[in-house]
Amino acid sequence: MGKLLAVIRREYIERVRNKWFVIVTVFGPVFFAVVMILPAYLSVRGMRDAKVADLRVVDATGTGLGARVAQRVAEPRRGASARALVDTMLAAPVKLIRVDTVSTEGLAAAESTLVLDVMANRLSGYLILDSATVRSGNARYAGRNASSVGENEQLENSVRAALLGLRLETAGVTATAADSITRLRVNVDAERITDTGKGGSGLGGAIFGFVIAFTLYIAIILYGQQILRGVLEEKTTRVAEVILASVKPDILLAGKVIGVGAVGLTQFGIWIASAVFFWSERTRLIGAIAGPAAAAAGAAPTGFAFPTIEPFTIVALLLFFLLGYTFYAALFAAVGAMVGTQEEASQAVQPVMMMLVFSIIFVQPVMTNPTGRLAEVMSLIPFSAPIIMPMRMTATPVPMLTVAASLAGVALAAVAAIWFAARIYRVGLLMYGKRPTLRELLRWVRQS
Amino acid sequence: MTELAIDIRGISKRYADHVAVRDLSLAVPRGAVYGLLGPNGAGKTTTIRMILNIIGPDTGSIHLLGRPNTDGAVLDKLGYLPEERGLYKKMTVRDVLRFLAELKGVDRRTADLRINEWLERLSLKSAEKDWGKSKVEELSRGMQQKAQFIGTLLHDPELVILDEPFSGLDPINAQALKDTVVELKRRGKTVIFSTHLMDNAERLCDSVCIIARGEKVLDGTVASVKAENAGRTVALSLDGSATPEVMAVLNDRTLVERVDDQSRFFEVELAAGADSQTLLRRVLETGARINRFERVQPSLHQIFLQRVGAKGVEEGMSGHG
Repeated sequence: MGKLLAVIRREYIERVRNKWFVIVTVFGPVFFAVVMILPAYLSVRGMRDAKVADLRVVDATGTGLGARVAQRVAEPRRGASARALVDTMLAAPVKLIRVDTVSTEGLAAAESTLVLDVMANRLSGYLILDSATVRSGNARYAGRNASSVGENEQLENSVRAALLGLRLETAGVTATAADSITRLRVNVDAERITDTGKGGSGLGGAIFGFVIAFTLYIAIILYGQQILRGVLEEKTTRVAEVILASVKPDILLAGKVIGVGAVGLTQFGIWIASAVFFWSERTRLIGAIAGPAAAAAGAAPTGFAFPTIEPFTIVALLLFFLLGYTFYAALFAAVGAMVGTQEEASQAVQPVMMMLVFSIIFVQPVMTNPTGRLAEVMSLIPFSAPIIMPMRMTATPVPMLTVAASLAGVALAAVAAIWFAARIYRVGLLMYGKRPTLRELLRWVRQS
Repeated sequence: MTELAIDIRGISKRYADHVAVRDLSLAVPRGAVYGLLGPNGAGKTTTIRMILNIIGPDTGSIHLLGRPNTDGAVLDKLGYLPEERGLYKKMTVRDVLRFLAELKGVDRRTADLRINEWLERLSLKSAEKDWGKSKVEELSRGMQQKAQFIGTLLHDPELVILDEPFSGLDPINAQALKDTVVELKRRGKTVIFSTHLMDNAERLCDSVCIIARGEKVLDGTVASVKAENAGRTVALSLDGSATPEVMAVLNDRTLVERVDDQSRFFEVELAAGADSQTLLRRVLETGARINRFERVQPSLHQIFLQRVGAKGVEEGMSGHG
């Protein structure tokens, strides 16, 4: 069908050539590069520049506690919590910490020097360990960032662990045993079990699910609005009449939906490909920018694993996206055809937007309880299924039959939306003047 | 192959609150320049849209070039210039034209060749400036109309349909349009255009159809239409302005049905049963000096007013364009 192709090509080329499309599309990969490579790069830069330590440990205990604390503080935090993941992604530079060993009498003199250092910005703070620390666990931190609770917590943990090790050794436990005891860490890893076995971390699934849901939501709104604007433009510039003398409105509608959809796939394709590229090549890329040491740091385990996605899920995701997009795109096109101005459009589009918003506000509750009744219902309602079901599928195993039923529902809704939109489109495209009432709309649908 | 370019039989189109076209039949021979005349709201645009199968008639049938107009292939042989002009503003002229040609089944290379030809011909492309590379929105209104006109003709259509082609054209572009219509006719193409500008229609058309309120009032060749409506019109030209006495004679409804008063020139339609000699004598009796007194064929404009009735005709549609 040459004419359909011509319509698709025009929709596609004109949009892809648009400078905003280029800017937004290029911004994606830059963003991924920044998120995935910059933190590791910075952390290594931080290591190199850390000749001047920003934290000083003053050890007046005479027990070597200071060295132990310094060692603990320098260790990266680990864990599988979302917090730890974010910490790793945005890893704070690893600090080299100098330990000043002083006598109890020399403490006051040493501290006054350090105060001057902090005031002159040569240090951000210092930690004082004295006999009271050994006795009762009381240490003292002073510095510019004294209010930073996170820092304090890390310091407290480090001091606690160092002190515990010291006391264990004093009590006769060997150094190695003491070390392993103090390093004891409790960590509950949440792991998904699907029908085909284990696959990735629960956390990864949740994040992935959110990303999918919001991506679909944003994509549908973004490209749906583009369709609406496109239809409205054809109507207000009256170019529609020339086109309709050459092609049937259904072809024009189909070409528009497919063309804009292809633009969306192109954009998301570039984004996904660049994200995957930067993620898988991050070690090499960091190495190229900052040297091998940095590469090692960048590749350090993050406690985050991409969930394993089965081919079935990928196919289902793609189908949900395509059908959901088609459903909403047809409705957006119908809205564009029934109004005459941008202002009218922003009013008339509200019922369509309500369906989308209604779907997205349930993302959080569904995510928290992906097997609940709400999740089940929402993932079967045709207009919310394209957003809720993909997310639910990544969070919890969903029987294939349920997914198929949901897909069938969306497909039926999409067909109905196209049928409805084509009728509105046919009549509305050549109707100027006042916006039709609901009754007139129904007549349009009936008469064409 | 049939001789008719357009064969419309008994089409009607009813909208919710009114009838746009009622039982309309038209026969346009191939190679003719055909005028569809009528006041605004007469159903011209609706008729044209039905011819183009943009909307379907409630009843009746439409055949174009011997095929039903629902046949997609026949639509590719039609060129259409809508009354409300419009192109994609953000696209370059060349891209828009290529797109329009593609929609008519012309391949891109042929389209590009023809676009260059036409751009040069309508002086949108010269050595120093190629408007084809500009975006549509950068063109002046006149140039946009030319571009749209090119889009209508790029696929070398057999049947060209122009809806109010002269509206908004400056005299130079109007002349270019007339020249093109004449050339299309010379090449054996059929041109049908709607207008309310009777002078243009009278000069360009072989045949006309006058419609009003959705119904055909009359149709036929311009010559036969004029002949059928002849004999009751007198051209009267005075030396100097008309005196009140002359006006009194011309307003005598037993003698004069209608008068088109242009101050020193009058197109007078005699009342039924009135004699032109009586009119001549009465005017002379007023002492007026007559330069010209002639029984003439009425202009299309006169026929239009006479048959449609000045009542239904809105301001600005009186036809001197």
